[in-house]
Amino acid sequence: MQSNQYSVKVFETTISDEEEFKIFFDTNYTLFKDHLILIQGEISENIKNYLKDKKLQYLQNMNLPKGRSRKALEKEFERLEIESAVTKQMAEAEIKKLSNRLQNNLTVLDGMIRSGREINIDGDLLLLNRVNSGATIKTTGNLIITQVVEGAIRCNGSFMMLTASPKANIVFNNVEVDNSLLEDRLNRVELKNDEIIITPVLKKEINWAL
Amino acid sequence: MGIVIAVISGKGGVGKTTATANLGLGIALNDKKCVVVDFDIGQRNLDMILGLENRVVYDMVQVMDGEANIKQALIKSKVSPNLYFLAASQTKDKSVLDSKKVEKLISDLKEEFDFVILDAPAGIESGFEHTIEFADAAIIVVNPEVSSIRDADRAIGILDSKSAKVKKGEDVLKWLIINRIVADMVEGGEMLRSDDILEILNIKLIGKIPEDKGVIEASNQGKPVILDKKSIAGQAYARIAGRLCGKKIDMKNVEISDSGLFKKIVGIFK
Repeated sequence: MQSNQYSVKVFETTISDEEEFKIFFDTNYTLFKDHLILIQGEISENIKNYLKDKKLQYLQNMNLPKGRSRKALEKEFERLEIESAVTKQMAEAEIKKLSNRLQNNLTVLDGMIRSGREINIDGDLLLLNRVNSGATIKTTGNLIITQVVEGAIRCNGSFMMLTASPKANIVFNNVEVDNSLLEDRLNRVELKNDEIIITPVLKKEINWAL
Repeated sequence: MGIVIAVISGKGGVGKTTATANLGLGIALNDKKCVVVDFDIGQRNLDMILGLENRVVYDMVQVMDGEANIKQALIKSKVSPNLYFLAASQTKDKSVLDSKKVEKLISDLKEEFDFVILDAPAGIESGFEHTIEFADAAIIVVNPEVSSIRDADRAIGILDSKSAKVKKGEDVLKWLIINRIVADMVEGGEMLRSDDILEILNIKLIGKIPEDKGVIEASNQGKPVILDKKSIAGQAYARIAGRLCGKKIDMKNVEISDSGLFKKIVGIFK
């Protein structure tokens, strides 16, 4: 679509005395010849012909959008600014509330979980290492594991983030998760309306900036 | 003061005792004073592999209980004057061990020798825990198969939680030996590759030992395979012993079969 955008000067009037109108335009023709003439009210044939002769563009009974004064614009900006500040504050409060809920009982582990270990976490867990075959991770909250899992996972939170783990045994809210659905990088596993939804989060290789 | 190295595996039958005997002898052949101690109480067999079974008079439990002194119980190897052996008791069981007594014995041996090598029992029971408790380092022996890897992983986990050194906030050194590698099977994808094993266990590799029929015969004769200069397993043990003694020896890739390479070269000329 191609389009042009430009401003037009408009001369708006109502005709009460046709002769007066003609005289006005005769004397000020050079000034108004490039204006758009907007006439509110009825126009007689006489005037129509006059405008045609003078090659003046005109519209009748239209409500054109008008530009606002600088002052009015400044006022409008001020109002928007206040409004956005309020929404920003509200959003920040919302995030704070959420992160508070996450970090109140967030555990971060970076050691390898070897066979035979059972980790029981009351709350959320962020694990930055492998879970080997024969190890078990249990959380009451959400779970994020950034490396491959070969052991068992029992997560009762509202979401999990896992990488592809073909050897893992994953039970999420008492439902076994088909781990062939987990893709190479990171996957989000959530419970929505009693349904387990698996969404690949990162398509690209993750660089954890070690 | 010497270094105490526990040889562990978790799973039985992967070659712990063979590794202990060969590394002990290898270290002694590098002119370091070395003692190998059999901690597999009730099921000793290190004496047989070292060819010293008929020389055992006093065992480790008798030393710990004060029935014999350590000089009487230490058996000198026929092969190297630097190698000594302390036998496990064959009549008692693992329950006779006690942390304080073990600590005393190990610190006495540490005074006397450059290397104290402890042959741990299989499993992760109390006997195993006593073996690793006062060790400065551990050699973990695995076979390239999943059950051995998982058991070793478990054993490493216990080592990391029960070792006296870890409790003091220090690190226990951990070295991995992958034993009984069959190159053809690794190439065919039937056997785990060492890279995969290292990724799972995440410890330092100190050597790979190829499968070698000579090992069993050597054990039966009581002459550790390291003495056979032609044996590929013996050569591998010699390289590991050298590394333990601080020599820089490049890792040899035993996961490529010579026959395979030979076939490929012959193939080019066909």
